[in-house]
Amino acid sequence: MAANLKNLIKLFFYIQKSNLKTAFLNKSDAFVNVLMMTINNLSFIFMWWIIFQDRNSINGWQFGQMALLFAIGNNAFGFFALCTRGIQLIPELIENGNLDNFLTSPQNSLFLIATSEATFANWGDFVTGFLMFFLSGYVSWHTFGIMLFCSFMGFILMFAIRLLASSLAFFVSDSQRLGDNIFISFLTFASQPASIFTGWYKVIFLTILPAGLLSFVPVNLITNFSWSECLFFILAVLFFFGISLFAYHTGLKRYSSGNRFGVR
Amino acid sequence: MIKYWSLFLVSFKQAWNKKANLSGLLFFLFILLFIYNRLWEVIAADSFTSGLNRTFIWYLLFAEMIILSNPKIDRILFDDIISGTMAYYINKPISFFFMRYVEAVGTMSVSFFVMGGFGTLITLLFTGKPPFEWWQFPIIFIMCYLSSCINIIMYTAIGMCTLWLASIRTLAMAIERLAFTLGGAIFPLSIYPEWFINIAQWTPFYSFYYLTIKLVYDFSFSNLFHAIFLNMFWILLVGSFIALSYHKLTKRINIYGG
Repeated sequence: MAANLKNLIKLFFYIQKSNLKTAFLNKSDAFVNVLMMTINNLSFIFMWWIIFQDRNSINGWQFGQMALLFAIGNNAFGFFALCTRGIQLIPELIENGNLDNFLTSPQNSLFLIATSEATFANWGDFVTGFLMFFLSGYVSWHTFGIMLFCSFMGFILMFAIRLLASSLAFFVSDSQRLGDNIFISFLTFASQPASIFTGWYKVIFLTILPAGLLSFVPVNLITNFSWSECLFFILAVLFFFGISLFAYHTGLKRYSSGNRFGVR
Repeated sequence: MIKYWSLFLVSFKQAWNKKANLSGLLFFLFILLFIYNRLWEVIAADSFTSGLNRTFIWYLLFAEMIILSNPKIDRILFDDIISGTMAYYINKPISFFFMRYVEAVGTMSVSFFVMGGFGTLITLLFTGKPPFEWWQFPIIFIMCYLSSCINIIMYTAIGMCTLWLASIRTLAMAIERLAFTLGGAIFPLSIYPEWFINIAQWTPFYSFYYLTIKLVYDFSFSNLFHAIFLNMFWILLVGSFIALSYHKLTKRINIYGG
């Protein structure tokens, strides 16, 4: 078990190294893409900056908190896109029968699928993420550590939600865009000022589409850390992670081969 | 023309049969309307302004109908050009560019009409009544449909950039975000500062999105004709770029093959 895990970690770093090498084959193209991604993110943040210029706060939230939200969201998405983006291809793999290639490999199939795609441009998400953190007005070594921790937990949550959405393809045919839209809905929910969701809205925000775990809880942890909330955050993320793995493996049991021959 | 009509019908029927995709689209639209309705409600309560969500949610509905119905023709063209599939089509008695365009319009039409019906019901539930008169509704609807057709032309131009770029994914994403900011596809430009509107006016996003969607809360025939004329100007400009790059593309294919 431990040796298997060690092998997977080694393989993971090897894949990341190859991805970087591939991206640097055309250096200018790689940097233009990173720059575009950064501009892309900043233009979205600009809209919110305008809103906060007009009104100082939205139900108690100020731009500093929004900046923290963008810092965590962008870093988490950066991790997701660079390390595990492949899981969004699951519906496509099921539809064209290419999933068989991954299933017949001696390595863990989910690991292989997840690491099969990465976009170098998403380094721009880290640029935006760190920039937003330093502009948030909550900068200290202590908050920096919490921000990194929350970003990593956010990444696990994103992975879980995307895997849940992708696993729908085992049960519903032709669901590539259905999965995409569920995931985008989750990200859209998570990129709003959490203060607008009160009462029943907040319950939905933390449970059905748990975007609050990517915005409300991490921002609270940075601005007003408490161990009980931190524990709740970890347990909630692990809960969704567990559910997503369960959904994937249940789906795999239902999956009947596409009978397509191929070697990977 | 009959062959293009047939292509339109085929892609329309294909898109209509993808019920899972359509339900995903409607789910996302619902989430967007739900979130922004809540946001504008809270902002209105904070600033003691009533009816803010009514104006802006209807605006958002039409904006999202244009943005979300986009069938990503840029990716289709990218695949056609990179894989060389295009070479199989250009010697057929049908224009490759119009074939892809008409197919995209067919797919877009399904998403547009389904979102239009569903979104109108949901927005009515959220807001009670629209900020426009009901007789203006078909005009606004047609104008937004035309904007969606123009939107496809713009994404065709992005697809043509495959000629010069190794990947167009980030470019397409950046253009989409510019549509959100410079085109006011989430928050109307009227809430932005004057200097920003002055910049936005010089971009195609201003007329493709904002001027058209603005009819929702500021309907007048002068605004309508302003939108039509400015859109025509930008179609001409973007169309010329596509024609030029298409010419270059076919020349390259003739030299290097598909």
